[in-house]
Amino acid sequence: MNTDHVYDQGVVFCKTIGHYTVRSAAGEFVCVLSSRLRKQLVYPLADPSSLAHIVREVRPIEGVDPVAIGDQVTFFETGNGTGMITEVLPRRTRFSRPATMPGARLFEQVIVANVDQVVPVFATANPAPHWALLDRYLVSAEASGLPAVICITKHDLAAPQAGLEETLSIYHRLGYPVIRVSVVTGEGLTEMGAALQGRLSVLVGKSGVGKSSLLNTLQPGLDLRINAVGKGKLGKGRHTTTHLQMFPLDHGGAVVDTPGMREFGLWDVQQEDLALYFPEMRPLVGRCKFGLDCRHDSEPGCAIRRAVMDGSISPLRYQSLMHLQEAP
Amino acid sequence: MTPRQINTDFRCLHCRNYVTTMQAICRVNNRNHCPYCLWSRHLDLYNAGDRLSACKAPMRPLGLAMKPGRNKYAPGGGELMLVHLCMECGRLSLNRIAADDDPQALLEIFDAACSQPPEHFDLLLGRGIHLLDSSSNQLVRAQLL
Repeated sequence: MNTDHVYDQGVVFCKTIGHYTVRSAAGEFVCVLSSRLRKQLVYPLADPSSLAHIVREVRPIEGVDPVAIGDQVTFFETGNGTGMITEVLPRRTRFSRPATMPGARLFEQVIVANVDQVVPVFATANPAPHWALLDRYLVSAEASGLPAVICITKHDLAAPQAGLEETLSIYHRLGYPVIRVSVVTGEGLTEMGAALQGRLSVLVGKSGVGKSSLLNTLQPGLDLRINAVGKGKLGKGRHTTTHLQMFPLDHGGAVVDTPGMREFGLWDVQQEDLALYFPEMRPLVGRCKFGLDCRHDSEPGCAIRRAVMDGSISPLRYQSLMHLQEAP
Repeated sequence: MTPRQINTDFRCLHCRNYVTTMQAICRVNNRNHCPYCLWSRHLDLYNAGDRLSACKAPMRPLGLAMKPGRNKYAPGGGELMLVHLCMECGRLSLNRIAADDDPQALLEIFDAACSQPPEHFDLLLGRGIHLLDSSSNQLVRAQLL
């Protein structure tokens, strides 16, 4: 570390290509990354203190970006409100997905670091909720050890998807809070505000479900860009939010708005462990005839299949497990 | 069978024959039963093709039933359906006959059903399925052959 610079610590609030906005007690700084953070220095395997401190190899880092929104970082000022990030402090929690980069190898993309809860956002209609995607978010949250709050937007719409309340009751019974909101009628906004208060939350969901509209209503003055969903038969969103950004809330806590995600892969979740991330299936894992070797597909004496048959596990959730086992 | 494998080819659980699910060949959207032995698999729960059942056990063909056609004035109208019984949970289901189903095997199933005692038909009627008996012999043969 160079002793000429004055080092400070702050939190990464906004991220655009190559630039990171860091907030510290001294103010807001637009920082770049030290080249040291983009590479991995490999030292000899023996105790480094017993040898001369010689770098044996320099490798690129194993990740898309070493810095994520919510990261606590050490940086130094370079003048005119700019700075350079030199260190990323250890993360308390992280919410990741595999990066969609060309090439055979997958890399981890940390969406948010040091996050307290995940808020999957789905609309009652336009675009229609995709329950398998919700299960993906929930499994990812469970695997990261994060609680989840399900937010259902556009509750004012006259024609929600058939069976919506029935499906939501499945998640409610599993212990996931389900909050129905409408930015038009104001329904559920107080409840949503209370759920976000004092925590760092990340809003995830497809384009056009109303993540930015919800934030604009919860925190007046943000003026986030919003757009109507497409008028086509499918009613798809239009990718209005294009970058990740964290917004502090007046009543405490902060929310990270994310661009819409049509696909969400699971990172660092082993196929054979998937059932452990479904809370209702967790107690049954290992109780099948084939014990921990059971894939819960068509094996005889499967405890999870039996529970689906007797009605204690929802067939929709079981189908999600099967989907995830096939394409995690 | 995992959800995305549903509309891919499969091997019959009963006769172990290889079955194609190509719509151009079988002319049905959801191919569950084997065209050779006519055994099926319990995959659907609420609607045809939803693939929400966790049972996945083999289903035995019980006989044939007639689904009334939309045109009630057409002579002998309606569509022949295969009746299946799940060997594990006992669920009954009606399935469309596919274009590549073996007509001889279908007739054998029908003949076997006809030789059942009347109580068998009453039992199925009690569960809402009118199994075709020997009185429908001509109609069945006219449709299949």
